[in-house]
Amino acid sequence: MKGKFAVLKSLLFAVVFTATAAASPVVGEAAPAFSGKNTKGQTVELSSFAGKTVVLEWTNNGCPYVRKHYGSGNMQKTQEAAAADGVVWLTIISSAEGKQGYVTPAEADALTAERGAKPADVILDTDQTIARAYEARTTPHMFIIDPAGTLVYAGAIDDTPTADPKDLATAKNLVLEALDDLKNGRPVATPESEPYGCSVKY
Amino acid sequence: MSRSSLLIAALLALVTPAMAQSVVKTDNVEARLVAETPNAVPGGTTSVALRLDIREHWHTYWSYAGDSGEATTVDWTLPAGVTAGPLQFPYPDRIEVPPLVNFGYEGTVLHLTDIQIPASAKPGDTIPIKADAVWLVCADVCIPEEGVLTLDLPVAAEAGTSDATTAAEFAAARAAMPTPSPWPATASVDGKTLTLRLDAPQLAGAGLASAVLFPQSGGYIKNAAPQSVDTSGGTLAISTETGRRFATPEKAAEVKSFPAVIVATGSDGVTHAFTLDAPVTAGPAAPAQGGEGALSVPVAILFAFLGGLILNLMPCVFPVLSMKALALAKKGGDTRAARMGGLAYTAGVVVSFLAIAGLLIALRAGGEQVAWGFQLQSPIVVAALALLFFVIGLNLMGVFEVGGRIQNIGSGLGKGDGITASFLTGVLAAVVAAPCTAPFMAGAVGAAISQPPAIALSIFGALGLGMAAPYLALAFSPALIRLMPKPGTWMVRLKQVLAFPMFGSAAWLLWVLVIQAGPNVLAMVLAAFILAAFGLWLWGLAQRGEAGLKTRILAGLTAVPVLAAVAMAKPSAPSGLLSEAYTPARLEELLKEGKPVFVNLTAAWCVTCLVNEEVALSGKDLADTFKKGGITYLKGDWTNRDPDITKLLEQHGRAGVPLYLFYASGKSEPVVLPQLLTEGIVIAAVTGS
Repeated sequence: MKGKFAVLKSLLFAVVFTATAAASPVVGEAAPAFSGKNTKGQTVELSSFAGKTVVLEWTNNGCPYVRKHYGSGNMQKTQEAAAADGVVWLTIISSAEGKQGYVTPAEADALTAERGAKPADVILDTDQTIARAYEARTTPHMFIIDPAGTLVYAGAIDDTPTADPKDLATAKNLVLEALDDLKNGRPVATPESEPYGCSVKY
Repeated sequence: MSRSSLLIAALLALVTPAMAQSVVKTDNVEARLVAETPNAVPGGTTSVALRLDIREHWHTYWSYAGDSGEATTVDWTLPAGVTAGPLQFPYPDRIEVPPLVNFGYEGTVLHLTDIQIPASAKPGDTIPIKADAVWLVCADVCIPEEGVLTLDLPVAAEAGTSDATTAAEFAAARAAMPTPSPWPATASVDGKTLTLRLDAPQLAGAGLASAVLFPQSGGYIKNAAPQSVDTSGGTLAISTETGRRFATPEKAAEVKSFPAVIVATGSDGVTHAFTLDAPVTAGPAAPAQGGEGALSVPVAILFAFLGGLILNLMPCVFPVLSMKALALAKKGGDTRAARMGGLAYTAGVVVSFLAIAGLLIALRAGGEQVAWGFQLQSPIVVAALALLFFVIGLNLMGVFEVGGRIQNIGSGLGKGDGITASFLTGVLAAVVAAPCTAPFMAGAVGAAISQPPAIALSIFGALGLGMAAPYLALAFSPALIRLMPKPGTWMVRLKQVLAFPMFGSAAWLLWVLVIQAGPNVLAMVLAAFILAAFGLWLWGLAQRGEAGLKTRILAGLTAVPVLAAVAMAKPSAPSGLLSEAYTPARLEELLKEGKPVFVNLTAAWCVTCLVNEEVALSGKDLADTFKKGGITYLKGDWTNRDPDITKLLEQHGRAGVPLYLFYASGKSEPVVLPQLLTEGIVIAAVTGS
């Protein structure tokens, strides 16, 4: 006899949730569509990359975890490997104006040049529309979308959640592994992981 | 820290130079290692804390940092043979950075670690402890910081006494450490809602101010989602939105259990944290796929009615109903009187059920932790019911008749055939039904009771109607009565046979009574049984005209000791730790004898007290320690006003319970224990280690 009232209650609760939270991105289902502006002010749309694998990378240059991966060249190496396979790499900066990590388009370009980064584009998501659609939590936070538009990976860049570059020697790069699985027509072995790093500055 | 305590700390540093300690100051954190006791003991364990004093508005992280961040880590460098246990994390705060949330610490945090000292260590040695600590400290920006901290721990035969500040800090750190939940937990997922249920009536009472759920790792729940707390039905239920692990039914099927920490704060402002690993069950199908689990109130009432029908077959009830039915059959039924009798019987049953339910609802509304069958928690009620079943059995056996007319076989229970008698038979049926319903229906009835009163009463009413329905149908249907076998001597035999289920019920209740109240009470109640049998036998003799008035009077007199024995059925102290009631006189007497005494001042409405008693004062180790030390356990119950207890509280500057005092052997001044206890704290306090 206990169950039915609990169900009613949770139904109500679920309704409240549905009203407050948009659908979360689900690995294995269609990736949320988005469009944003790159550093040149041009519109970048996810739908325009249909047929290609897309990587989303949330970043914030002030974050020690981001610095771990750029300072060591790990992120640039991952970007180069992706580009070599025709993968579209979109770096996303979601800090709002006035928040830590906010950059102007010119500063963003300067950063890319300075770090020797190789993204296809850098998107300035200053109103956090894309970050909210993907529920991006950390910098870095990584997503991979396959050519059919399905979200196939969400999580950390690797399996060692620290800020210490020394740990890269033993870390497993989960993004490279997932891209390799995709390239070879295998299902992604580790489709989800717990992202780590600084928080996205909403 | 006040200036004077700084001075004391500085002086201590001078007088105990052996315990050299380094401090690392970064921009945002001051870190140091602190040992709980001045010395380590060969073969012993010393608690060492990594203490972080964090810059205002900045925070460090829990073992699971939440949406971002990183837990503090320590890499120990220790001499051979010395080992360090895991770094312990006190329960965290929710640090909200919408739409994200972190789990961590602001202000000061102590991470304890148990350092195990080998037995081969020699007094006079010094154990150098080195910790490479790494912590992430964040405000709106994050900075990974680290420090190499050292501590030289002198070895001595005695650990020595910590200074008051250190002792208080360690006690507070231990109290903030989540402990395994003493209550079973389950998690269920319905659609996008995860509900964690902790079957903890002690927590789910009126004394709970807040409860917060922390996942021990990511993906189980959406960390930043709001949480709703429900304490109805003696269960603490926390609901929130599911995380990515439950995004699809296939993924959800992979999740076997949900490791979590519940942080519960009572209205007294005291917080307890519990770790648990709740088995996850998929709830009823997602709402969109049909409300299979969502039975409506009318269906619940229908089920209650059917349950009531089934009650008639229970060994406690069946004989009563049978006797009523047989009496009806004998008279041929279909009379106005029979119909009125049927209605009166029904009213008796329904009114009794409603009365019990009403009492239950009223008690719960008053914050009492009661459930169906609560009446059986009283040994007096159990003893009385056992006696009642025994007496009914004797009646069925033909030892005596009720109502005095020997010819009227079968009218049995309830005097004659009047409306009042029928009503009373209904009440009797409901009363004897209670022990049978308790074990079988406790869960369902408990759920009904947690519904709004109108619904709860409807469900109970339906239960009563269902129970009365078969007899009511007989009373109104001559056809049914004609179906019953013709009256005859077989009825006498049947009646005698039906005595046995009654004796069985009595035997079962006696078994319950022994568990509740112990063997002494059983002996008394059994004596009452024999005396009652004797009295009723005499009464029966008189009824049959084989004895006179004197016998009747003697029989009546036996009722006095019988009832007295039942009324004295009181539970002995629970097994394990035996307590005596606290009185100032008893305490003084024990202290005069130089005996060690542990005093627990508690109250039934004090959540902290109940949790402490469950967590810290009910274990076997503690009972053994008390026994070995010859410690007398005095318990003062402040549930009702008690000036003696109030006075003792005031002597120790307290306005309320709990208060735990330990008077060591021969001491007249007690040690005051912390308000939050673990078994370890109590054992350490009473053994003086």
